[in-house]
Formats: sequence, structure tokens, C-alpha cells
Amino acid sequence: MRVLMFTWEFPPLIAGGLGMACYGMVKSLLKLGVEVDLVLPTEELIYMPLRKVEDVDLLPTVFLDPIKQHEFKSKEFQSKEEKFEFIGISGIPESYAQLSLSDDEHSKILQEYWDAELRDIDDRKLWQAMSDNLVGEEDIIRKVQIFTQRAKRFASELKFDLIHAHDWLTYPAGMIARKISGKPMVAHIHATEFDRAGGPGDERVHKIEHAGMSFADRVIAVSQYTAQMIMSRYQIDSGKICIVHNAFTIPEDAVLNKKRIFAGPVILFLGRITLQKGPEYFLEMAKRVLDRHPDARFIMAGTGDMGRQMLRDSAAKRLKNKFLFTGFLNRKEVERIIRASDIYVLPSISEPFGISPLEAMAYGITSIISKQSGVSEVVQNAFKIDYWDVDLWVQTISHLIDNPEKCTQLGLDGMKEVHLIQWDDAAEKLKKVYEDKCLPVKTKTEKGKV
Amino acid sequence: MLSIIFYFQVHQPYRLSHYNVLDIAKDKDFFDEPLNKEVMQKVAQKCYLPTNKLLLKLINRFEGKFKVAFSITGTAIEQFKKYSPETLESFQALVDTGCVETLGETYFHSLTSLYDSNEFLDQIGMHRELMFKEFGCYPTTFRNTELIYQDRISDLVYEYKGFTTMLTEGVDRILKWRSPLYAYKNYSKRLNLLLKYYKLSDDIAFRFSNREWPEYPLTVEKFVSWVDKLTHSETEERNQFLNLFMDYETFGEHQWAESGIFDFLEKLPEAILKHDHLSFIHPKDAAELSNYQQEAISFPEAVSWADEERDTTAWLGNDMQQNAQETLAELMFKVKAKGDEELLRKARLLTTSDHFYYMCTKYFQDGDVHKYFSPYDSPDQAYVYYINALAGLEERLLR
Repeated sequence: MRVLMFTWEFPPLIAGGLGMACYGMVKSLLKLGVEVDLVLPTEELIYMPLRKVEDVDLLPTVFLDPIKQHEFKSKEFQSKEEKFEFIGISGIPESYAQLSLSDDEHSKILQEYWDAELRDIDDRKLWQAMSDNLVGEEDIIRKVQIFTQRAKRFASELKFDLIHAHDWLTYPAGMIARKISGKPMVAHIHATEFDRAGGPGDERVHKIEHAGMSFADRVIAVSQYTAQMIMSRYQIDSGKICIVHNAFTIPEDAVLNKKRIFAGPVILFLGRITLQKGPEYFLEMAKRVLDRHPDARFIMAGTGDMGRQMLRDSAAKRLKNKFLFTGFLNRKEVERIIRASDIYVLPSISEPFGISPLEAMAYGITSIISKQSGVSEVVQNAFKIDYWDVDLWVQTISHLIDNPEKCTQLGLDGMKEVHLIQWDDAAEKLKKVYEDKCLPVKTKTEKGKV
Repeated sequence: MLSIIFYFQVHQPYRLSHYNVLDIAKDKDFFDEPLNKEVMQKVAQKCYLPTNKLLLKLINRFEGKFKVAFSITGTAIEQFKKYSPETLESFQALVDTGCVETLGETYFHSLTSLYDSNEFLDQIGMHRELMFKEFGCYPTTFRNTELIYQDRISDLVYEYKGFTTMLTEGVDRILKWRSPLYAYKNYSKRLNLLLKYYKLSDDIAFRFSNREWPEYPLTVEKFVSWVDKLTHSETEERNQFLNLFMDYETFGEHQWAESGIFDFLEKLPEAILKHDHLSFIHPKDAAELSNYQQEAISFPEAVSWADEERDTTAWLGNDMQQNAQETLAELMFKVKAKGDEELLRKARLLTTSDHFYYMCTKYFQDGDVHKYFSPYDSPDQAYVYYINALAGLEERLLR
């Protein structure tokens, strides 16, 4: 079986948890014999035919343009980085592709492939909703437009059995591919606009999310929490929804033992510094815990749109040198900061899943996680608290600081537990969804042709 | 009679490296040695060496009639020794002529006068000893970091003993109807006070090469005519003092050589000394020349020479700066209690005012000046590195 997979992130192109989730998922799918043609928002028009497990790291690359492909083949790259540079991957997904196509050119494509051909009035409405809302001057919308236009070439030139699209950014591409190829589409929802915005968010995005999920043959939710949300807020047919929890497979070169940087207890926030992740709650609990435990240090690791505000608020709260910022960290640096921590906290306001607590727990770090998260459905040896209950967060952290043996024991229990939450199991479930979907839809398409 | 008092500030900080949380584990040095070396050598080539050479020539040519004063910080002298010893030698040669007065200040160019009196006095002492060691004399005129001044600070300086005169900014809101051209006393009448004449000082230091300025280009003739005009207002034959205070880096660094700043400096003494009623003197000589009762002026709040506000908000105006300063003050206390000399030295290097200046968020016109002088991308970044360094220092203290 071969899957055409559209995703916005895949290592080394990572901004958040999506990239690591796709990596773990694809690696395990390859182990099960599922082949993947991976399409990323690269500068060049390329895809990555992943056939063997090693390919998730090697990322074999094919240019659609035969001349470019020839040039690429004849080139010798000194390093992986050099190759990524050539195909236009620069590390953080915000920074590639200079897009210059206008909305006009965009809508031409949409017309060409959709309007005339749609047989089904519901499909037409969904298509309309998607294309009407994929407009705007923002960089990200432009990038999605380009990505979507490219999808038609992948769909018509590659051979595959099924389409798998991750989050709204790739739903329009998935929809186009489904339309052109007639193959079934699986829409994977890692986070909705409600989660990201911590409120209503951008209506255009809602519409695209709704269109993508409605158009898809199956919707995969990363948690019960998310499944509930897409049923209640997007009115997605519950019969289409499958829940596949994320997992965390610790890298083989990981070093698990503690390595302290600070003498006192260290409490870690790790993730994008954005409203969804509840950074303000972290700051507030830091202030209150520090009143009781002035030797503790709170570390906010990551970057995000609220980074500057958090920095200035921490200064305004006079948290001295007890509240520190790491800025962007690469994978090895993330490992070092986790190993230097005692308590991991995830105070997210709305977290569809939340892989990073699994990562922290895999290193034996005691975790406290928001009840408003998918990850709280899969782990037992962690504290689970409503994100807004700052009193309880403060009490819990203080309790763990006062009882270091208990903290260590809980961390070890969590570690054992998390090492059993493997991507291989999640991939099995995914494969079942694929298999379940492949046959019936083919029949349906053939029926349609008759 | 009007006497011009030139005082030039010579300072280089130890700039912090991009010090991250993970660096704390590695015991990485807080300071960016390659950058500090590069800046020192660049400024030496563009400013210190050519300007010193020119001043020496002028001093010799006018046989004692052309005089200037320098305030050179401890951190600048240390870096001369490390990265540009010929610069230090050229300053020593200037002082040896007897036509250069060296002023006293804090060794680390710090803001300690505002929050830690004991540390302030310690740093004054360190600087005095350094001046004696490098230049052979103890200073008697004191200028605080960035001309920061208030009544309380003058008490501390007097308490130190040995200083007779202090310099500060001629701040309009304090002076009101008074002119900065006269010698004053501090509020307790124990020290002489000389006030920067900011209009003419800044014409040289900030506006000299500004083509938008209506007076551009500033010629020596024009400047001397303005100076001469100042004497016309004095009808009782009281001696006046025109205090032209500026960063020494004005010459060749802030104002590039191409702007003609060196020509200006070269021709100025002759044009001034052509007039019998104009002369150059040292700050320490002003009190003797004041042929009138010096009025006492009170500065209840701290002033400085920075920005439009002429207050201390360039360094301690926002939350980041205040949190950083309060953390440093607390840590300094702990470092002293432990008595670890190496850590005390590091803590003191972190008292340098520049670290706080880089965290300034007053944008618009003045902010541009801050930005120009900062080695970091943003005030927030400067703050992060600084706070990380303070955390690193604290961890070493705990070991």
C-alpha cells in the first residue's frame, strides 16, 4: 500500500509537535510495509519517496521536473544540510518559499479542476467554502495556495492508494488530490483553530478545516478530547472519526540520565510560547511558587508570539534571575534542558494531544499536565489539573519540591509507562483505517464513473 | 573672560556574550572576548590613536595654553592593556605634558551611585588607585557615570575625601533662569560644581555631520563666533566657564574622519586663543578663577546627560532594567558575603552601565542612539543574556 502524504512539518522542518508526530508515525508505517510519498512545503517542486525505515532520516528526494531531477542526481552533497538547502528546506517552516502568485492565478486553478466537474452539490459547497476562504495577503495563506496548486501535479503524476493530509494547511491539497485521483482521503487533525487561537480564531481557517474534514473519507483525531471538539464544533459525522493517540519513541541516541545545571529545583515549560500553551499560567504559578521556594528556577523553553510579552511580564513581576528563557532549542538542546529539569508542566488551555509531556516523562521527569489535553487520556503517572486552577498547580509543584523522593519515584513510574506508548501501536491502528477505507471508496469511485 | 573646559569620556565596556541557559552548565565565560577585542582595536584605530596624536601636537604647539581633561574608566584601561597597549601609552604621554587633567569616576562605569553606596565608594577607590598607578596622580575632580548626579551623590563623593569639584549636566529644569556658564557649589557648599553646556557640546558631539541640521556644516569660525557671543551677556566681568563635555569617541568614531571632525579640532585652539578673553583651562582650576560668590544648587532628583529627559530612565526606566539591577544588587551582597574574589570581579563587571543601556526600550529618536550602540538585536535579547549571566553567577556561588 502506498500513501500520498501532505504535511507542513517533517524533520528537519519542524515548528511544533506536528513534525515529530509525522516522523514517528511514518517511521512505524514503513515498518509495517506501508510506503509513503511525502510532500512538504519546500521551495522546489519535489517529493520524498519513503520506502524503507531508514528513509525517514535519509529523505530520498525526487524533483517532478526531469531536468531538475537530472541536475539533482548529478550533484554530490557534502552533508545532509547541503542537500536540504538545495531543495529549499531551511529548518523552521516559516522561512521557506518566496511566494509571488496572485489570488487570480490561484482561483484559475481552482476553477479548472473543480467547478465544472463536481457532480455532487454537497461537494461543490465544500469546495466553494475551501476556495472562498483560502484568500488573503498573509504569508501563510500564500504558502498554502502554492502548496495547494502543486497538489494537482503530485496527484496526477504519482501512483498511490490513499491520501493522508495533516491539519488545515494541507487539507486543500488533499481535497484536490482526492478529486483528481479518486483515491480516498484521510484528514488527520492534530489541532483545530479553536485550540490554536484559545478562542474563536480565524473564520477562514474554520471553514477550511470543516471543508477538509467533511470532504475526507475518514478523519483521524489525536484524542478523545479532539474527537469531541470536531463533533460538537464542526459537526463532523461521528461514524467517520477514528481516534489514534500520538506516541513518543525515544531516539536511539538519547541520553536519559539526569544532568543538573542548577542546584535548586527546576520547573520546565517546553513548547511554543503562545496562548494555546498557557504561558501566562506558567508565569503566575512561578511567581507564587517562588514566594515559597526562592531557590527554584522556572525555565520557559521555546519561542512564540507571546515570548516578548512573557519576558517583560516576568521582569515586571520581579522574578529576578529565577525565570529564564532559552530561546529556540534544537533536538539535542531540548534533551539537555529536559535532563536538567525536575518537574515538567503543560498548562495548555486547549491541547488536542501534546507530545512533549511524553518526551519529558520518557526522561523520567515528573509531569503535571492540563486536563484540557489529549495526552492526559493516555498517561496515568502524572498529575492532571485544570489549566485555570493556579492554586492547585502551585500546591502540586510545592508538594513535589518539598518531597523530592516522591517526585523522583513518580518520574520513574511515568518513564516506565511512557516507554510502552509506542508509535508502532499507533501505526497499526492507522494501517487498519487505511485498509478499511481503501476498498469501499474505490468501488464508490468506479460507480461514479459508470 | 571665558574659559573653555573640554572633558572627554573614554570608556569601553566588557560586552556580554550570547549567554544561554545551557551555557550555565558549561562554565562558559560571560563576556565576548573576540567582540571586545575587535571593538577596542577598531576604536583605537579610528579614534583614540589619531585623536591622541593630534592633541599631543596641539598641546606642544600652544605651549601650555591648550588644555583638556579625560575621564578614563577602569574597564577601558584594562582593555587597552590587553588589546591596544599603544593606546594607553599615548594617553600617558598626553598626561605627562601637564596639560591633561585626569578625572575620577567609578572603575566599572557603573550605576552603583543610585543603589549601593558602599559599592560606589569601593569603585571610586579602585579607580583612584588605578589613576595613580597609570598616570601618577590622584584625581581631584569627579564625574559620575553618564554625568549622573544628585545631592545625595555629592555627599558620597565628598565623604570619600580628596575631591574638590564635580561635573554634571546643565539640566534646564534644575537651572531654570540660571546660566550653566558660571561655577556653582553643590547643595551643601562643600564641592564646586561645573555644568555641561549641552547646546554647544552636542553641536560637536551629535550634530556635527548631520546634513539636516540648518547650521551644517559647522566651521571653526562659526563655532568661535558662538562662543564669543556668550561673553557679551556678561556685563559685570564675572569669569565664565564653557563646559564642553562629550564622549571621546566623537572624534573619528561617532563622527567619522570624513566629516572633517579632525580638521575642526585641529583649527579650534588657534581660533579660540586669538581672542584675549578666551582660554582653555582644567576643571580643577575653575573654582580659583571664579571671582564671585558661587551659588549653591540643589539637585533633589538624579539627572544625567542622556536622552531628552536627562534623567536615569535610559538605564533604569523599564521593568527589565529594574529587575536586572535589583537582581544584581542582591547577588552582589551574597558574593561579598562569600568573599570569593573571582566572582566579585565578575559581578562588578556586570555593574557597568552599558549592560542596562542595551535593555532600553525608549524607541523613537533616542532609542535609535541606544540601538546604534548595542551589540544585540533587541533590548529583550540583551536582557535575556544578562539575566542568564546573573543566574550563572549565582550557580557558581552555590557550588
